[in-house]
Amino acid sequence: MNIEKIKQYFSGKEKLTIYENVVIFEVSVSNILAFASDLRNNKNLQLKFITATDERKENGCFKIWYVFGIPHEHGFIIPFIELKNTEQFPSLSPLIHNAWNYERKIKTFFGLDPVGHQDSRGIILHENWPTDIYPLRKDFDWNNRPQEASGTYQFQKVDGEGIYEIPVGPIHAGIIEPGHFRFSVAGEEIVLLESRLGFTHKGSEKLFETLALNEKIRLSEKISGDSSFSHSLAFCQALEQLSDTIPPKRATYLRVIYAELERLANHFGDIGAMMLDTGFNFGGAHSARLREMIMQINERLTGNRFLRGINVCGGISKDIENREKEKLSEELTSILKDFNEIIHIAENSSSLLNRLKGTGELSLETIIEHSATGIVAKAVGITDDARVDFPYAAYDELELDKIAIEQSGDAYARFYVRIKEVYASIKIIKDALKILPDGLICAKNISPFKKNAVAISVVEGWRGEILYFVTTDADGIIERVAPRDPSFINWSLLGHAGVHNVVPDFPLINKSFNLSYTGNDL
Amino acid sequence: MMIFIWILQLICVPALSPLCMGIIKKIKAKLQNRVGASIFQPYKDIWKLLHKDEVISTDASWVFRFAPFIIFATTIVIGASIPLFASFLKNTLTGDLLVVVYTLALGTFFLALAGMDTGSAFGGFGSSREMTISALAEGGLILALFTTALSIGTTNLFVISNAGMLLSTQFFLSTILAFIGFFIVLLAETGRFPFDNPATHLELTMIHEAMILEYSGKRLALMEWAAANKFFIFAALGANLFFPYGIAHSVDTQAIVIGIIILLIKIFILCAIVGIIESTMAKFRFFRLPDLLITSLILSALAIGLIQMQIL
Repeated sequence: MNIEKIKQYFSGKEKLTIYENVVIFEVSVSNILAFASDLRNNKNLQLKFITATDERKENGCFKIWYVFGIPHEHGFIIPFIELKNTEQFPSLSPLIHNAWNYERKIKTFFGLDPVGHQDSRGIILHENWPTDIYPLRKDFDWNNRPQEASGTYQFQKVDGEGIYEIPVGPIHAGIIEPGHFRFSVAGEEIVLLESRLGFTHKGSEKLFETLALNEKIRLSEKISGDSSFSHSLAFCQALEQLSDTIPPKRATYLRVIYAELERLANHFGDIGAMMLDTGFNFGGAHSARLREMIMQINERLTGNRFLRGINVCGGISKDIENREKEKLSEELTSILKDFNEIIHIAENSSSLLNRLKGTGELSLETIIEHSATGIVAKAVGITDDARVDFPYAAYDELELDKIAIEQSGDAYARFYVRIKEVYASIKIIKDALKILPDGLICAKNISPFKKNAVAISVVEGWRGEILYFVTTDADGIIERVAPRDPSFINWSLLGHAGVHNVVPDFPLINKSFNLSYTGNDL
Repeated sequence: MMIFIWILQLICVPALSPLCMGIIKKIKAKLQNRVGASIFQPYKDIWKLLHKDEVISTDASWVFRFAPFIIFATTIVIGASIPLFASFLKNTLTGDLLVVVYTLALGTFFLALAGMDTGSAFGGFGSSREMTISALAEGGLILALFTTALSIGTTNLFVISNAGMLLSTQFFLSTILAFIGFFIVLLAETGRFPFDNPATHLELTMIHEAMILEYSGKRLALMEWAAANKFFIFAALGANLFFPYGIAHSVDTQAIVIGIIILLIKIFILCAIVGIIESTMAKFRFFRLPDLLITSLILSALAIGLIQMQIL
């Protein structure tokens, strides 16, 4: 990060604290709205994340952190506000829409009230959780089960003749995660779609505060099981920043290879599942086969189909031997050949294309308003990709093809972004295998974590950008870990994508997003 | 001898219909490079379901409890009323084209009622979709069957299948047109692609499966069996009215054996076509289905028009 270049974002009066790629500084509560909207609107920075920390014991205040990313500088500006003797803070959501759910979450989990927020309902925690117990406060007794409460949750309601509601879930007919969807329908057309999640809430953020360091890494792998490697990579990178560790070159290349294998497996799975949902069984069966081949490669290389237990602080734990290099490269060539054939057949099926085109369309404005990430954003032509904007591991040394984008914003576009990313991923893995440097795979000495520090790490998981916000206390012990799965952002878009489609198309729209429930519910 | 043949006719549909389902599933599996379950699996499924306990919603009325029996019974009655392997049976009581079509409609009526009976949202939209599709399919079905009736001059199905003159050069084109119209209706009425996906787990896209979602155990077995019977009935109608070859014309053991074998071959071919369709195309979007059913209606209307011109 070039300090000179980021000077333009400050007035010069702030007291800046700089860690590696993160600049933090306090902004007064009365100034934060103006400051944040200036960063976003005039300086075109993205609001990546908002979270809070409970520092009442050390500093006598709650802090709320507003994480802004500076693309291509691999830097983050984090203004924060201190809430002393108050549990209210001004809501940013009327000015910046994507603050909406972050603020709801702060309200639910920290009991801090965003003044001016339009939605006073809780998020993730359900009606059986007492409304006056805030689990992410430090004084919350996580070992004891609170009394069961019985509140009510008000769904949005559509009135009018012929409107009826279809409640779907939380238990579904397929083997998928639980989530509730409330459709308000006129005939077959969806008028309003509201999703209610939180059924898989496990208290992961609180667990991060209590587990030992090794187990924290294992926990990060389970934030969203299908993105195990990307999540643990993001967390380990944050730990490496906090301890000033530079992982060896070979490790960074291997991380790229594993991360792309994970992307491949999931994209094959999704491409197949989308075809299966339209009833195009041939494509569904064969894409599932390709996914399984990647999973078996994963198991052969690392002993784990989901690439768990690979990332450690300072590098990785499993090497790829030389004879495996050739074999992997050959296997990818044959997978690519099969994939080409499947896509060729799919492209010639007019019934498949008819189902995908125009289904679940999202406009560029909606995407920008919600700061959508990953495949959903790429499908309307937004070229944001953490591998390019905030290069990590060895991505800055590998030539990434153009970021895969489409323009139409429908299920077809999301289908095609995945197909293009499959081609790109195979190319990256092959390139990385070719120039894989020799050496260690894990740094030898890990120094203790910096004290009172903040680290931000982003990784482009297969769904989109995964972000980890990690802070340490005065003893250099990790105090708060706030993972943000891309699903948390993109779930708010699903309702918009569903409106004006017919009910039988919703499963396809949902599949074209394929968001994580557990990654959202934490 | 006649009693024996009648018994054969009566059990033919329920005995062979699960096999049809098994064959379609096997073909689909093969086309996806999978091994697939045995073609006798549907028998085992029905047997298994018949031995299971069932759960009935406390909100369910007698409609829900009796519908499976009514629906299953209609398929058995129709199974005895259509030409399967012998055209000499001449059932004049229920063997009429209109009786068969509207007995089928009676089954559909109770199926839709049963879907709505428990008040679940899925059953409700399943029934709504089923009625939309049946209403649109009815025209095509009636006109397609009328094509055959007009060219022979009777609405008794056994007599039509006995005539065996449909594919003579005079009526060749109209028979083929009407058969295509009929085949579209077959797919719609039996819940196959591109109308419905019998293998889906996605509750929001279902039609037939959504209506029977609340059933379990023995009643579910009857519902599944009745659905298989319905498919067999439609396949047999298509095979024997439009291509009435090989059917036994006289009470003769050899003719009857040949009749049964040829029926099986014809139905196997139809199963194969359905299996291939389900493996090679995607399901249509719900709002495109009426277009397809209108196509069926128009094809059958054209066929009737052609026949009228020839007769005049």
